[in-house]
Amino acid sequence: MSAVIDTHGHGHTDHDGHEHHPSGLMRWVTTTNHKDIGTMYLWFSFTMLLIGGVLALTIRAELFEPGLQIVNPEFFNQLTTMHGLIMVFGAIMPAFVGFANWQIPLMIGAPDMAFARMNNWSFWLLPVAALLLISSFFVPGGAPAAGWTIYAPLSLQMGPGMDLGIFALHIMGASSIMGSINIITTILNMRAPGMTLMKMPMFVWTWLITAYLLIAVMPVLAGAITMTLTDRHFGTSFFNAAGGGDPVMFQHIFWFFGHPEVYIMILPAFGIISQVIPAFARKPLFGYASMVYATSSIAILSFIVWAHHMFTVGLPTAGLLFFMYATMLIAVPTGVKVFNWLATMWQGSMTFETPMLFAVGFIFVFTMGGFTGLMLAIMPVDVQMQDTYYVVAHFHYVLVAGSLFAIFAGTYFWIPKWTGIMYDETLGKWHFWLSLVFFNVTFFPMHFLGLAGMPRRIPDYASQFTEFNQIASVGAFGFGLTQLLFLYIVLKCSVLRKGEKAPARPWEGADTLEWTHLPSPAPYHSFHEQPEVK
Amino acid sequence: MTVAQVQKKASLPQVAKAVFWSFLGIRKRRDYETDSVELKPQQVIIAGLIGAALLVFTLILLVRLVISKLV
Ligand code: HEM
Ligand SMILES: [Cu+2]
Repeated sequence: MSAVIDTHGHGHTDHDGHEHHPSGLMRWVTTTNHKDIGTMYLWFSFTMLLIGGVLALTIRAELFEPGLQIVNPEFFNQLTTMHGLIMVFGAIMPAFVGFANWQIPLMIGAPDMAFARMNNWSFWLLPVAALLLISSFFVPGGAPAAGWTIYAPLSLQMGPGMDLGIFALHIMGASSIMGSINIITTILNMRAPGMTLMKMPMFVWTWLITAYLLIAVMPVLAGAITMTLTDRHFGTSFFNAAGGGDPVMFQHIFWFFGHPEVYIMILPAFGIISQVIPAFARKPLFGYASMVYATSSIAILSFIVWAHHMFTVGLPTAGLLFFMYATMLIAVPTGVKVFNWLATMWQGSMTFETPMLFAVGFIFVFTMGGFTGLMLAIMPVDVQMQDTYYVVAHFHYVLVAGSLFAIFAGTYFWIPKWTGIMYDETLGKWHFWLSLVFFNVTFFPMHFLGLAGMPRRIPDYASQFTEFNQIASVGAFGFGLTQLLFLYIVLKCSVLRKGEKAPARPWEGADTLEWTHLPSPAPYHSFHEQPEVK
Repeated sequence: MTVAQVQKKASLPQVAKAVFWSFLGIRKRRDYETDSVELKPQQVIIAGLIGAALLVFTLILLVRLVISKLV
């Protein structure tokens, strides 16, 4: 991977010294700068993480004991639904787009994103969508409460909150599609001379593939929710059995989007981990080509496994077997990746600064999520576990310890480049260890709860489940509070601007363009002259 | 090896091989270096789609086989 770089270093001050962009609030509203937009994406997603987190903590507070204490069952359903929607569409996805905005131009030597104005538009759609989504709490009947998967027929029976949710999803989908077009065009057309596709940093590759996935499946989601909308208001019966429609068809369409969607949330994470591990092992990524091939393969295979979410809806045996086999196959390229990361670390001269801690933590804990996924893929097993807490444990292992840990790893890795200030290493390490411990305290017991038969999405439960639920709730509050530490660490670099000044290349093993060719912080306009990559 | 130097066209088996290994996610460095020079993106995408179709077809055959043994 390591592209040898022609060093006619340009210490890059703004050549004519004028910055004719508005200041204050209008700077952010009107900006077309990829760094500003990346920053806004990241702050937006962190805000959503906190909001989604508060919902989750309310859920965990209710579940601390059997019986109903804090919320009524209707509101509880709104909480689980909104927690899922906010985390998936508001926190994880925009965070990765934020990384893409900041890092892709810097890593391929481009001056900005290809469509700078559209970039502004894709971002500013998001707060609008988020407001719509959250305002649904305040309309009659409350927020959507059919689960983040908004299954029919529940989604057809709810009040106007569901419509707000549908519109919010439409807008976020439009934002994602525009973001993807921007990312693809930037990567395909704006690479520095000499940066061939197979020399691109892994993070750029994973985003290229993710962007194609997004363009392929966001319209499918849009279709599903539009059909829901017309069923609700315009007399159609796509999903309404009473009118001759088929609720199971909704599940097929939703999961044809939904499974690729889970890869949309993990591929950029793989990309970040593939940058961090080589940098701290001081070795090039083992099997770079394999990684590219494995990522494409995962992307293609992700389209033929969707019904593993539907093993209990009464599919014919042939269908059950097909989706079971296909799902188990997808674990092969995923395993290849884990193997490659381990091989990269093998005999490397490793150090464990916070980004590396999160990356290694990612490998351990994400892999556990991969294994529970494999167990759920075994259809006769899934028939027992479907809709239990085992599934909840599975996807939090891959999404929190996977996607979110990768987001943390990436933030610590690049924040010196973004702000010019080193983060507080001691606090970073605390953040990692507390997150790791509390994460496992929260979600590990959920495996046992699931195996013992506790259903997901319920406000009350049988008393034999009490102890594990209490452990999980304590862990959840610990995990939530720990994230305030992360907020402080980031604020310290970005707003308070306290800490050591970061050198241009704080990680000696990091060899991509942003480290070798740009000072820290990266100047507002970078790579006006494209670097030559050999 | 410069890009301009080789614009050899890849043969069909070569494309098929590259795509096959990509499904497993494993590729020898030497092979991928020739791949990346000789394969055109269009070739790879088309071969990838054919490969996916073949995989689906094989799985269906396998499923049929299993089910026929059941009854
Ligand atoms: C080794 C790879 C994986 C396999 C074999 C796998 C398999 C499965 C299966 C069979 C289910 C359905 C369980 C059920 O509802 O009964 C499931 C659910 C889920 N998986 Fe995975 N999975 C894998 C990786 C991932 C990754 C990487 C992510 C996301 C980053 C993910 C996210 C999810 C989510 C969100 C659900 C639950 C959806 C819902 O019902 O709300 N999985 N997985
Ligand atoms: Cu899935």
